[in-house]
Amino acid sequence: MSAALRVRTLRELLVVIVVVFGVGSIAMLLAHVSPVDGFAQLVDGAFGTPEEVGETLVQAAFLLFPALGIAVAFRAGLFNIGAEGQLVLGGFAAGWIGAQLPLPAYVAVPMVLLAGAVAGGIWGAIPGFLKARFGANEVIATLMLNYVATLLCTYLVTGPLQQGGATAAETGALPKAAHLPDLIGLLADPQPTLAYLLTPFALAVILAFVLRRVLLHTVFGYELRAAGDAPEAAKRAGIDLGRTALVAMAISGAIAGLGGATIVAGELHRFNTGLSAGYGFIAIAVAIVGNLDPLWIVVASIAFGMLQSGGIAMQAEAHVPKEVIALVTGLVIIALAGRRAVANRRTT
Amino acid sequence: MSGAALALAALLGLTLVKATPLIYAALGGVLSERSGVVNIGLEAILIAGAFTSVAVSGATGNPIAGTLAGIVAGMLVAAVLAFVATRLAVDQIVAGTGLNIAALAGAAFGLQLIYHQPGASREVPALGTPGENVLIVVAFLAAAALHVVLTRTPWGLRVRACGEDPSAAESAGIDALATRFWAVVTGGAIASLGGVYLALAELDLYSDGMTAGRGFIALAAVIFGRWTPFGATGAALCFGFLAALQFSLQRAGVPSELLQALPYLAALVALAGFAGRVRAPAADGMPYIRG
Repeated sequence: MSAALRVRTLRELLVVIVVVFGVGSIAMLLAHVSPVDGFAQLVDGAFGTPEEVGETLVQAAFLLFPALGIAVAFRAGLFNIGAEGQLVLGGFAAGWIGAQLPLPAYVAVPMVLLAGAVAGGIWGAIPGFLKARFGANEVIATLMLNYVATLLCTYLVTGPLQQGGATAAETGALPKAAHLPDLIGLLADPQPTLAYLLTPFALAVILAFVLRRVLLHTVFGYELRAAGDAPEAAKRAGIDLGRTALVAMAISGAIAGLGGATIVAGELHRFNTGLSAGYGFIAIAVAIVGNLDPLWIVVASIAFGMLQSGGIAMQAEAHVPKEVIALVTGLVIIALAGRRAVANRRTT
Repeated sequence: MSGAALALAALLGLTLVKATPLIYAALGGVLSERSGVVNIGLEAILIAGAFTSVAVSGATGNPIAGTLAGIVAGMLVAAVLAFVATRLAVDQIVAGTGLNIAALAGAAFGLQLIYHQPGASREVPALGTPGENVLIVVAFLAAAALHVVLTRTPWGLRVRACGEDPSAAESAGIDALATRFWAVVTGGAIASLGGVYLALAELDLYSDGMTAGRGFIALAAVIFGRWTPFGATGAALCFGFLAALQFSLQRAGVPSELLQALPYLAALVALAGFAGRVRAPAADGMPYIRG
């Protein structure tokens, strides 16, 4: 990293810190809470006990999957704001398949995750295809498909694909075999509740390392980045921009869909239409703060996971409405919308 | 009148009620995008207009004051987008997405501060009834006015020039950054009336998430209406008709989710070029950097 770039990065991180603490403090003062107490409760609620650390990492994992997916699309110069829909559809496919698989765990769990990835991948590939074939703006397409995804899942789960036993907008429950295994439990753990929580995070971190390798050290990753950084030059060098867009969007969607499947198999153990608390949108902040680099995105996901899990404690203990967290998240996105990595995206 | 005619009249009335917020938001979007700024933040502007109008109408007991405050709030939110999109030349889509998240959370936070309860405010003095409301008429007047402004006035020409080719506009002596800024802010004032209508005419209160993605449906209307005031208004009326139809079709067994998805699918179809040639302003979404 060059010195100039390092200064720039430091300045951007400073902006994030100022936004988080400045706006957070003002909001807490408005709620008649001392910012010192508020932030103390936030950190304590996120890291105070082993269970809370576990919950923070779960939240980090649920943000990490869509954020990694977003980073892939962004690096290819495609602004995928459809991670939310891709995640929801992935969760639906995972829940629907998972609830009716009478299989042993070593088959059921991979099947459930695969179902989520395939469904999310298809949902991501649609705007990729529309862009490659018709030049349709992927931003608007992914945005519109978010709503279509939620509506489609609601329709399927209450209509043609309704499963016995489910009364609300949800699938049947996943059998125990389709639950994500308890990572530390496999190593003989006395506290299984905390332990299973770590599996999604471990999976997401492994994925981040793989993704970094693919992006930086493979021909495909090079083509993808070239299409994003200098589309004209890439085209002249013989890179098929349409195909790259399609593949990048499919991979991006598949990763977000995998995230949805992880929420279903790791936490809820069934799909319901409210499974995402806006993870696909908050993940945009995570991806940008992580500068679209998979490993920095891991770090950013822990910070945002902390805000998510600590925010609930902050509301309960310090009586600061937890909406402060979403408010700060939105402002961080605005503040960092000028990052170079973001500004590079192809605009047509 | 026969029963069928009455039913039809009721359906058309409901169409107007459902379309009005969409028309305002879509017109705000048209003005913004014709100047070259993609306005993903329409949802945020609706939220700001709705929440602020309720808070001020509740506090003063005067819905007119609420309406004016709602417009100011919409302009302020739009000004944030306009500032970062012009002076800071950041990515408009990313900034708009952040704005939507922040506005939704900000309103939910405000509810707790003012009303000390999550979820919804109490009822506040309303601005007329949903069906008989001056804001419905004003929506159509606004469409006509925007059409005239964009096609017949020097400022409208400047706005369109900035949306097509800002550097050429600057060579002709137009301040592209200022023109874009004020186009987005004026668009924010128009769009905020959609939020005011939803809050003070339809519900008489603010409830968390009440805008329910209407800003995005309006964005779809902008595209389906080919970035023109009348086109966007027509598209908004179509989408309003679909929403009005929902109640009766649901009874007939048509899944309501399909009807709700239609505006979004229509936008996709338009984007992919299946509904004739669709062309966004050439510099739509591209920051202009002097140099």
